[in-house]
Amino acid sequence: MVEIESMVRYVSPVNPTVFPHLTLVLLGIGIFFTAWFFVYEVTSTKFTRDIFKELVVALVAAIFSGFGVLFLLLWVGIYL
Amino acid sequence: MLLISVGGIIFFTLVIECNAATFDLINPDIIANNVDRSIDLATQLAKLSYKITLKNNGKGEVKSFLFAVEPNVKDSLSYIGAQTGDSLKTSLKLFDTKVQGHADKLFWRIEMKDVLKPGETAVVDVETVYTLQLIPHPASITQKDKQLVLYNGNHYFYSPYPVKEQSTIVNLGTRNVESYTKLKPSSQSENIITYGSYEDVPPFSVDKMSVHYENNAPFLTITNLERVIEVSHWGNIAVEETIDLKHSGATLKGPFSRYEYQRETQSGLSSVRSFKTILPAAAADIYYRDEIGNISTSNMKILSDSVELDLRPRFPLFGGWKTHYVIGYNVPSYEYLFNRGDDYLLKMRFLDHVFDDMIVDEVTTKIILPEGSQNMQLTTPYPIEHLPNSLHFTYLDIKGRPVIILRKKNLVENHIQDFQLQYNFPRILMLQEPFLIVAAFYLLFVFVIVYVRLDFSITKDEVGESRMRVAGYCEKVLAHQDKRALTYTYYNEQLGKLKSSKDINAFLTSVKNINHEYKRETAHIADLLVKLKADAPDLAEKVSELQKADKHLKELYTQHQSLYVDKLVPGKIARQAFVDTENQFNKKKEECVEKINTLVKSLQ
Repeated sequence: MVEIESMVRYVSPVNPTVFPHLTLVLLGIGIFFTAWFFVYEVTSTKFTRDIFKELVVALVAAIFSGFGVLFLLLWVGIYL
Repeated sequence: MLLISVGGIIFFTLVIECNAATFDLINPDIIANNVDRSIDLATQLAKLSYKITLKNNGKGEVKSFLFAVEPNVKDSLSYIGAQTGDSLKTSLKLFDTKVQGHADKLFWRIEMKDVLKPGETAVVDVETVYTLQLIPHPASITQKDKQLVLYNGNHYFYSPYPVKEQSTIVNLGTRNVESYTKLKPSSQSENIITYGSYEDVPPFSVDKMSVHYENNAPFLTITNLERVIEVSHWGNIAVEETIDLKHSGATLKGPFSRYEYQRETQSGLSSVRSFKTILPAAAADIYYRDEIGNISTSNMKILSDSVELDLRPRFPLFGGWKTHYVIGYNVPSYEYLFNRGDDYLLKMRFLDHVFDDMIVDEVTTKIILPEGSQNMQLTTPYPIEHLPNSLHFTYLDIKGRPVIILRKKNLVENHIQDFQLQYNFPRILMLQEPFLIVAAFYLLFVFVIVYVRLDFSITKDEVGESRMRVAGYCEKVLAHQDKRALTYTYYNEQLGKLKSSKDINAFLTSVKNINHEYKRETAHIADLLVKLKADAPDLAEKVSELQKADKHLKELYTQHQSLYVDKLVPGKIARQAFVDTENQFNKKKEECVEKINTLVKSLQ
């Protein structure tokens, strides 16, 4: 049993006051890459598309959208 | 018969031996010199507090003494606490215990702060709270009646030790007393009845006291309270309480008239219109709703040290009426959660305030910890039933969040105390949630990537396909042409540098790279040209024209280069002649670039 005196008060690794800003920035970037991905998917033909480019754009879009959605959930009060 | 009794004796001795450690003895050396008892009956609870002056009349030291509770009220005892009678008010330790020959009574062993030496006295304050001791009498009343209750108690302090002198003060909170037992000496003034003092009362004396008086204080019982504490390491603790409330006073007899209730102040005196709930000062996002939805007829006041809610149920509560509601709020984690490394400690109230002088029949507190928490260790301020842990599934959970479930019956305000829950949580697990969302998004994208590659058509569209293929080739040709055009730009830059610096070696090395790039792009286009010939001969024609024009341009650049390298740098050319030749080259280049651009446009 660790004594309470030796502990510090726990705060979130991300300050809750920046949740809105993080959401807007990350989700903004995420939506941009998502849009790029889908535009690329519908405009390219099977002779022009490049699997490597698709996967990379998808990965970037997924990372930014994923973290953006996380902070969106936290912002609206769904504490995960 | 003999055999049975022998067996009984053996069995009996065994039992004694087994329980010998837990049995206490009544120390004959202790006497209670003076006991001041106060019985507060102004609310729905019976709060009895005692100021006991103990004396050690024996030869040995006394470390602890016993406190007894009458057999008939032992089930309604909700809380007991003891502290020293001096100004420090140090709280003393209590232990539930048994005394041989007094199995029907409830005993508590109270540890003294200092050892009582022979002849010494000590003052101890004991506080007890009983529920269900005030019986509505009559049990049902009409809307306009006042509520009368009956309290049955003991005129004497129920002591395991002889009491030299004792007196009791009963606070009723009203002067409207129907009747009370009058064991002399006793007197009533305003809302106080005084009994005593009585002298030299033997141990375990009982003399029935009964007081019948008016009590319109809210008789509200929380029949079931479920308190859910959800800890999030993203900096929040969410608390939600589901409350079943019942008016436990005299039941309503006859009809309920809303008209009279609104108009006459004397109508429905014992009913409850609203009550105050006090929440922690940091509480935010508070909600109060029932089955139908939000109950808007309530007020919130933010005070400096708490948040006060004035909760108003949808209807006034009369005797026997019930209501059910949910109240919830968020508090920041730093108020209640502590950590060191991966060790966390949650220090929070097991039960929180719902209204003043509340009675809680049963409370179930569920503590939901973040997914992946391990090694839970619980410390409680008083004995609490610990039910088996379970799992709770909510957003972005895989194996569920551990839930600690605690239950206790018959509680009052004095039970609002902190529990401590220690657990271990690897911090890296916090990343699980964002990466689950990332993985979900990526899966969607991969699905799209696969989907666009699937062809569900049942006929093969040769024409359309060849058109698409040609368009694809053209796009690639244009991309390579763009890159090839870039090499010319670099070439020009290098020529410009050479003109000013006249450093041939540096120029040649960089041109070598540029030429390499150029050759690669040209080769790519040549490959595509071959492919194009099969599908679209007319476009192939254009591309081959493009190649020819480019070849011409490249030659012009080579000549331009040799003008610089062979003539300008060694100084074999006159200034005017050089300027003329260079202008000629530039003009030819421009024409050639123009031609290439026209071809590129026609390919687009």
